[in-house]
Amino acid sequence: MRYKSQSVAYWYFAVAMVLFGLQLVFGLLSASKYLGPDPLLYILPFDVTKVIHTNLLIVWVLTGFMGATYWMVPDESRTELHSVKLAYIQLVLWVLMGVSAIIGYLFRFGTGNKLLEQPLPHKIVIVICMLIFLYNIGMTIKKAGRFTTTEGVLMIGLVTSALLFFPALLHYENYTVSIFYRWWTIHLWVEGVWMMIMGAFLAYLLIRLSGADREVMEKWLYVIVGLVFIAGILGTAHHYYWVGVPTYWLPIGGLFSALEPAALVGMAMYAYSAIRRAGMSHPNKLALHWTIGSALFSLFGAGLLGLAHTWPSVNKWTHGTLITAMHGHAAFYGAYAMIVLAMITYALPSLTRGRPEEGNSLGYWAFWLQIAGMFGMTLSFATAGIGQVYLERIMGMGYLDAQLKIQVHFLMLIATASLFTVGVALFIYDFFRHAPAFIVDNQEETSAVARASV
Amino acid sequence: MNNRQARNFAIGATAVSALVFLALTLDSHRQFGKLTNADQITPQVTHGKDVWHKYNCINCHTLLGEGAYYAPDLTKITQHRGEAYLQAYMRDPAQFYDEKKHRRLMPKQDLSDQEITDLIAFLDWVSKIDNQGWPPRPILVTGSFVPGADTIGSHATGEESAPSAARPVTAEDDPRAQGEHVFRTAVPACNACHSTAPGADMAGPTLAGLATRAAEILTSDSYTGSAKDVEGYIRESIVNPSAHLIPGKMYSANGTSFMPTGYDKSLTQEQLDHLAAYLASLK
Repeated sequence: MRYKSQSVAYWYFAVAMVLFGLQLVFGLLSASKYLGPDPLLYILPFDVTKVIHTNLLIVWVLTGFMGATYWMVPDESRTELHSVKLAYIQLVLWVLMGVSAIIGYLFRFGTGNKLLEQPLPHKIVIVICMLIFLYNIGMTIKKAGRFTTTEGVLMIGLVTSALLFFPALLHYENYTVSIFYRWWTIHLWVEGVWMMIMGAFLAYLLIRLSGADREVMEKWLYVIVGLVFIAGILGTAHHYYWVGVPTYWLPIGGLFSALEPAALVGMAMYAYSAIRRAGMSHPNKLALHWTIGSALFSLFGAGLLGLAHTWPSVNKWTHGTLITAMHGHAAFYGAYAMIVLAMITYALPSLTRGRPEEGNSLGYWAFWLQIAGMFGMTLSFATAGIGQVYLERIMGMGYLDAQLKIQVHFLMLIATASLFTVGVALFIYDFFRHAPAFIVDNQEETSAVARASV
Repeated sequence: MNNRQARNFAIGATAVSALVFLALTLDSHRQFGKLTNADQITPQVTHGKDVWHKYNCINCHTLLGEGAYYAPDLTKITQHRGEAYLQAYMRDPAQFYDEKKHRRLMPKQDLSDQEITDLIAFLDWVSKIDNQGWPPRPILVTGSFVPGADTIGSHATGEESAPSAARPVTAEDDPRAQGEHVFRTAVPACNACHSTAPGADMAGPTLAGLATRAAEILTSDSYTGSAKDVEGYIRESIVNPSAHLIPGKMYSANGTSFMPTGYDKSLTQEQLDHLAAYLASLK
């Protein structure tokens, strides 16, 4: 850590860890309900555990993004944050919003609009938090007068994320129109601007960890951003299949979302070539695992598994089945969970006392158990989904009968999810077992790092 | 390619994509009204949508294929189930399904009568949205187009008090329910050759919409049988398949239907009544 104010990142990461743990509790609860019967039917039914599971995901990943940004921007702009106090106020507001939303969901206090269940007051607090955040980061960069490309991509990603939240604040009389604009927020987040954020973190980590040439890395970052948006913006159309919008969205969705893997292949090649041509070897090999892992798992989960069901003539049969859950889990984990875990792993040695820079065996166990567990969960959803599509959609077996026939895949799901949970539990334990200590590196060392990284 | 060209590529690609996307969005707004029958969004439908949201339905069910994959898709539910059924179902789902057998059950929601009625109106509006003909084949809640695949109800044994979809039919059940049982268990089984899915002709024609078609046949000049009403026509087709032939070389030759005969002997009068009552309900 080169700047004292980077220490705010620790508290963001700590909150993200707690919420990540909670997300898994509700995920496991939801998974066990697939086996049934459900003893909690009238206490904690599936709709409640599911809404909490997905909302916690969004909240903890965003918390991680914010923490990682507060960590990265001082490094890139070589300055202290504009206001540490504002960063803490933002965190407190954010946590209050998140926690009260979750408690509300327990009592069915939500909008019931998929993924945008947050009640209006909560949505407004989200907007306020985003504005504080953007103001704080913007002022930091302005004062420093140093604005790198990596930072620029990150900032545009964050600002557009905030802008794209606005359609979610409006009310739509027509259900189809509300579906149409739901994906302006959710799709353009996860397959557009969040990709910019992820790309920026990836570039930052690769530059720091492999000593890759900044000029080259940033050039390719632009290319990746271009590819993301060519495919991502018009690729929104794959959410417009069969929901009551004009038919031309079908071929557009097929064509452009088939291009989406291009950006992810680009990202994986980018990461791989960076370590191949590494000019220096950073001791934090564990962070490198997470970084490269994120690029590769995104290619698998977001790219290939998305491609598997994105063509309209395939999606006609798979739409609204567990195939979607297969893609969703692998894509979100690879692209967003892993990049946040990479940033945390990179930053943590200088935010805690007595943690070895190169990681420890616990950290590697956490990494491999999570990878194995999530891979298994993805396969379980895939096999369950394929069974469901053939039995229910193609052969015409009733939904409930078909679900009974694919029970064995739910057993697999719970088994592999447990493995994943162990991995996450180890990560969280490893996070908290070293007390926080905010050590600012002395200038001689950092200037050497700075020279290497410019 | 240098840094500047790469940046221009990123900005250019994004700008062009965004412009095309916005133009298509505007055009979609031009068409939403017609595609979704927006003129039929009555206050009742709107209230039904609020009910749908209030009870968090989408976090178990799917609608237009969007939702949580844990409960059946409801896009076309009002075309598969009548309003009376849906009313009764939403008052108490446990009357219809057994959590022990189906492994999952919808919790009772305690909706008011008004809420139920409006929710059905909303779902009915959804079922009429022009969504490119999706789903390509009806998505059933239970049962099957495939003979013998719906194993929960027909093979289950045990307590008499189980909901109707979770146990075999008994003599106390509605004649139509008993008729459906005959449909699957007669020898040879009716469902070996006939489906009840629209358009799914097997060795015999589909029986979906049978009652409507029968009424048309009875009034047409080409009818060669002697039945007077729909149930009579159905009964005649079962016991004497050649009395009136459905056109098609795959169904008959030389004035004789390919359908097996002998149901007048293998089924009792009562079973025939039940079967006819069931088939007459396929409107």
